[in-house]
Amino acid sequence: MTRIALTLALLFAATASAVEPGAPAPGFHLPTFDSGPPVSLADFRGKVVLVDFWASWCSPCRQSLPLYGKLRDNYAAADFAIIAIGLDEDVADGKAFLAEHPIAYTTLQNPQGDIAKAFDLKGMPSSYLVDRDGIVRARHVGFTPADIDVLKKEIDGLVAKHAP
Amino acid sequence: MRRSLLLLIAAAALAGCAATPVQPWQRGRLARWDMRWDPDPLRAATDAHTYFSKEGTTGAIGAAGGGCGCN
Repeated sequence: MTRIALTLALLFAATASAVEPGAPAPGFHLPTFDSGPPVSLADFRGKVVLVDFWASWCSPCRQSLPLYGKLRDNYAAADFAIIAIGLDEDVADGKAFLAEHPIAYTTLQNPQGDIAKAFDLKGMPSSYLVDRDGIVRARHVGFTPADIDVLKKEIDGLVAKHAP
Repeated sequence: MRRSLLLLIAAAALAGCAATPVQPWQRGRLARWDMRWDPDPLRAATDAHTYFSKEGTTGAIGAAGGGCGCN
Protein backbone atom coordinates (compact mmCIF):
# COMPACT_ATOMS: atom_id res chain seq x y z
CA MET A 1 0.00 0.00 0.00
CA THR A 2 2.86 2.35 0.93
CA ARG A 3 4.48 1.57 -2.42
CA ILE A 4 1.31 2.52 -4.27
CA ALA A 5 0.96 5.73 -2.27
CA LEU A 6 4.58 6.65 -3.05
CA THR A 7 4.12 5.97 -6.76
CA LEU A 8 1.00 8.12 -6.81
CA ALA A 9 2.80 10.94 -4.99
CA LEU A 10 5.67 10.80 -7.50
CA LEU A 11 3.30 10.82 -10.47
CA PHE A 12 1.49 13.89 -9.27
CA ALA A 13 4.61 15.67 -8.04
CA ALA A 14 5.89 15.59 -11.62
CA THR A 15 3.00 17.80 -12.76
CA ALA A 16 3.59 20.59 -10.18
CA SER A 17 6.94 22.28 -10.82
CA ALA A 18 6.14 26.02 -11.01
CA VAL A 19 9.08 28.33 -10.32
CA GLU A 20 8.03 30.15 -7.17
CA PRO A 21 9.73 33.13 -5.48
CA GLY A 22 12.68 31.87 -3.45
CA ALA A 23 13.61 29.20 -6.01
CA PRO A 24 16.66 29.48 -8.29
CA ALA A 25 15.74 30.69 -11.79
CA PRO A 26 16.15 27.91 -14.37
CA GLY A 27 19.17 28.62 -16.56
CA PHE A 28 18.93 29.09 -20.34
CA HIS A 29 21.15 29.64 -23.34
CA LEU A 30 19.10 30.99 -26.23
CA PRO A 31 19.62 32.64 -29.63
CA THR A 32 18.74 36.29 -30.09
CA PHE A 33 16.30 37.59 -32.69
CA ASP A 34 19.00 39.63 -34.41
CA SER A 35 21.36 36.69 -35.14
CA GLY A 36 23.81 37.83 -32.47
CA PRO A 37 25.61 35.30 -30.23
CA PRO A 38 23.36 33.23 -27.91
CA VAL A 39 22.74 34.67 -24.46
CA SER A 40 22.60 32.90 -21.08
CA LEU A 41 20.93 33.97 -17.88
CA ALA A 42 24.28 33.28 -16.19
CA ASP A 43 25.80 36.16 -18.24
CA PHE A 44 23.71 38.52 -16.10
CA ARG A 45 24.78 37.20 -12.69
CA GLY A 46 25.34 40.15 -10.36
CA LYS A 47 22.47 42.17 -11.85
CA VAL A 48 18.79 42.23 -11.03
CA VAL A 49 17.10 40.71 -14.11
CA LEU A 50 13.52 40.79 -15.31
CA VAL A 51 12.91 37.67 -17.41
CA ASP A 52 9.79 38.29 -19.47
CA PHE A 53 8.01 35.74 -21.64
CA TRP A 54 6.05 37.20 -24.56
CA ALA A 55 4.55 36.32 -27.92
CA SER A 56 3.45 38.47 -30.84
CA TRP A 57 -0.10 37.08 -30.64
CA CYS A 58 -0.57 38.07 -26.99
CA SER A 59 -2.04 41.55 -26.77
CA PRO A 60 -1.00 42.34 -23.15
CA CYS A 61 2.57 41.42 -24.19
CA ARG A 62 2.44 44.00 -26.96
CA GLN A 63 1.52 46.55 -24.31
CA SER A 64 4.16 45.46 -21.81
CA LEU A 65 7.30 45.36 -23.98
CA PRO A 66 7.59 49.11 -24.70
CA LEU A 67 6.73 49.95 -21.06
CA TYR A 68 9.51 47.64 -19.85
CA GLY A 69 11.88 49.64 -22.06
CA LYS A 70 10.93 52.82 -20.19
CA LEU A 71 11.26 51.02 -16.86
CA ARG A 72 14.80 49.93 -17.73
CA ASP A 73 15.81 53.54 -18.40
CA ASN A 74 15.43 54.22 -14.64
CA TYR A 75 18.40 52.03 -13.74
CA ALA A 76 22.12 51.77 -14.41
CA ALA A 77 23.08 48.97 -16.80
CA ALA A 78 25.24 47.43 -14.06
CA ASP A 79 22.22 47.10 -11.75
CA PHE A 80 19.30 46.00 -13.86
CA ALA A 81 18.66 44.20 -17.14
CA ILE A 82 15.66 42.86 -19.01
CA ILE A 83 15.63 39.62 -20.98
CA ALA A 84 12.52 39.21 -23.13
CA ILE A 85 12.01 35.66 -24.38
CA GLY A 86 9.76 35.39 -27.47
CA LEU A 87 7.71 32.20 -27.58
CA ASP A 88 6.19 32.44 -31.07
CA GLU A 89 6.24 28.96 -32.61
CA ASP A 90 6.99 30.66 -35.92
CA VAL A 91 10.06 32.84 -35.28
CA ALA A 92 9.12 34.99 -38.30
CA ASP A 93 6.07 36.26 -36.38
CA GLY A 94 8.28 37.41 -33.51
CA LYS A 95 10.73 39.02 -35.90
CA ALA A 96 7.94 40.87 -37.72
CA PHE A 97 6.64 42.17 -34.39
CA LEU A 98 10.10 43.38 -33.33
CA ALA A 99 10.61 45.08 -36.71
CA GLU A 100 7.36 46.96 -36.12
CA HIS A 101 8.05 47.70 -32.43
CA PRO A 102 11.84 47.81 -31.93
CA ILE A 103 13.02 46.89 -28.44
CA ALA A 104 16.37 48.10 -27.08
CA TYR A 105 16.91 45.35 -24.50
CA THR A 106 17.90 41.69 -24.93
CA THR A 107 15.29 39.70 -26.86
CA LEU A 108 15.75 35.95 -27.22
CA GLN A 109 13.77 33.35 -29.12
CA ASN A 110 12.49 30.05 -27.77
CA PRO A 111 10.06 28.64 -30.37
CA GLN A 112 10.26 25.15 -28.81
CA GLY A 113 8.97 26.58 -25.53
CA ASP A 114 11.25 24.36 -23.44
CA ILE A 115 12.37 27.30 -21.28
CA ALA A 116 8.73 28.35 -20.79
CA LYS A 117 8.13 24.77 -19.64
CA ALA A 118 11.12 24.92 -17.29
CA PHE A 119 9.61 28.03 -15.69
CA ASP A 120 6.16 26.36 -15.87
CA LEU A 121 4.34 29.49 -17.06
CA LYS A 122 0.76 29.83 -15.86
CA GLY A 123 -0.28 32.50 -18.35
CA MET A 124 0.90 34.94 -21.01
CA PRO A 125 2.71 37.20 -20.48
CA SER A 126 4.67 36.01 -17.44
CA SER A 127 7.64 37.75 -15.91
CA TYR A 128 10.09 36.72 -13.22
CA LEU A 129 12.22 39.12 -11.23
CA VAL A 130 15.56 37.49 -10.51
CA ASP A 131 17.95 38.92 -7.93
CA ARG A 132 21.72 39.36 -8.26
CA ASP A 133 22.27 35.78 -7.04
CA GLY A 134 19.96 34.18 -9.61
CA ILE A 135 17.06 33.61 -7.21
CA VAL A 136 13.50 34.38 -8.33
CA ARG A 137 12.08 37.06 -6.02
CA ALA A 138 8.76 37.88 -7.72
CA ARG A 139 6.51 36.40 -10.35
CA HIS A 140 3.88 38.25 -12.38
CA VAL A 141 1.26 36.62 -14.60
CA GLY A 142 -0.63 38.82 -17.07
CA PHE A 143 0.01 42.51 -17.52
CA THR A 144 -1.69 45.86 -16.98
CA PRO A 145 0.16 49.22 -17.11
CA ALA A 146 -0.37 49.56 -13.31
CA ASP A 147 1.98 46.57 -12.86
CA ILE A 148 4.92 48.81 -13.81
CA ASP A 149 4.68 50.67 -10.47
CA VAL A 150 4.62 47.39 -8.54
CA LEU A 151 7.61 46.12 -10.52
CA LYS A 152 9.51 49.36 -9.95
CA LYS A 153 9.11 49.05 -6.19
CA GLU A 154 10.29 45.44 -6.29
CA ILE A 155 13.29 46.30 -8.50
CA ASP A 156 14.21 49.27 -6.29
CA GLY A 157 14.24 46.96 -3.27
CA LEU A 158 16.40 44.33 -4.98
CA VAL A 159 18.83 46.82 -6.50
CA ALA A 160 19.38 48.47 -3.10
CA LYS A 161 19.52 45.19 -1.18
CA HIS A 162 22.70 43.72 -2.61
CA ALA A 163 24.47 46.72 -4.15
CA PRO A 164 27.87 45.49 -5.44
CA MET B 1 -1.18 -7.83 -6.94
CA ARG B 2 -3.47 -7.56 -9.92
CA ARG B 3 -5.47 -4.87 -8.16
CA SER B 4 -2.32 -2.89 -7.38
CA LEU B 5 -1.26 -3.11 -11.02
CA LEU B 6 -4.66 -1.88 -12.17
CA LEU B 7 -4.45 0.99 -9.69
CA LEU B 8 -1.01 1.95 -10.99
CA ILE B 9 -2.20 1.89 -14.60
CA ALA B 10 -5.21 4.03 -13.66
CA ALA B 11 -2.92 6.52 -11.87
CA ALA B 12 -0.56 6.67 -14.86
CA ALA B 13 -3.54 7.28 -17.15
CA LEU B 14 -4.71 10.12 -14.89
CA ALA B 15 -1.27 11.74 -14.99
CA GLY B 16 -1.40 11.45 -18.76
CA CYS B 17 -4.60 13.51 -18.80
CA ALA B 18 -2.90 16.17 -16.67
CA ALA B 19 -0.26 16.67 -19.37
CA THR B 20 -2.80 17.13 -22.19
CA PRO B 21 -3.99 20.77 -21.81
CA VAL B 22 -2.58 23.32 -24.24
CA GLN B 23 0.07 25.34 -22.40
CA PRO B 24 -0.20 29.15 -22.21
CA TRP B 25 2.69 29.62 -24.66
CA GLN B 26 1.12 27.22 -27.17
CA ARG B 27 -1.98 29.33 -27.77
CA GLY B 28 -0.75 31.26 -30.79
CA ARG B 29 -3.13 29.48 -33.15
CA LEU B 30 -6.06 29.89 -30.77
CA ALA B 31 -5.36 33.64 -30.69
CA ARG B 32 -5.60 33.95 -34.47
CA TRP B 33 -8.27 36.26 -35.85
CA ASP B 34 -10.03 33.43 -37.66
CA MET B 35 -10.21 31.35 -34.46
CA ARG B 36 -12.36 33.92 -32.69
CA TRP B 37 -15.92 33.10 -31.87
CA ASP B 38 -16.91 36.48 -33.38
CA PRO B 39 -14.28 37.57 -35.92
CA ASP B 40 -15.90 41.01 -36.31
CA PRO B 41 -16.15 42.66 -32.85
CA LEU B 42 -18.29 45.59 -34.10
CA ARG B 43 -20.80 43.28 -35.76
CA ALA B 44 -20.87 41.08 -32.65
CA ALA B 45 -21.47 44.10 -30.40
CA THR B 46 -24.33 45.31 -32.60
CA ASP B 47 -25.90 41.85 -32.70
CA ALA B 48 -25.54 41.52 -28.93
CA HIS B 49 -27.14 44.94 -28.39
CA THR B 50 -30.12 43.93 -30.51
CA TYR B 51 -30.39 40.61 -28.70
CA PHE B 52 -30.21 42.20 -25.24
CA SER B 53 -32.86 44.78 -26.20
CA LYS B 54 -35.22 42.10 -27.47
CA GLU B 55 -34.70 39.64 -24.64
CA GLY B 56 -33.92 41.97 -21.72
CA THR B 57 -30.88 39.82 -20.87
CA THR B 58 -27.83 42.08 -20.77
CA GLY B 59 -24.64 40.00 -20.61
CA ALA B 60 -26.49 36.76 -21.08
CA ILE B 61 -24.44 35.60 -24.04
CA GLY B 62 -21.17 35.66 -22.12
CA ALA B 63 -18.15 37.91 -21.71
CA ALA B 64 -15.87 39.18 -24.46
CA GLY B 65 -12.44 37.71 -25.20
CA GLY B 66 -10.45 35.54 -27.56
CA GLY B 67 -9.07 32.07 -27.04
CA CYS B 68 -5.51 32.91 -26.07
CA GLY B 69 -6.24 33.12 -22.34
CA CYS B 70 -4.21 36.32 -22.05
CA ASN B 71 -4.91 37.98 -18.72
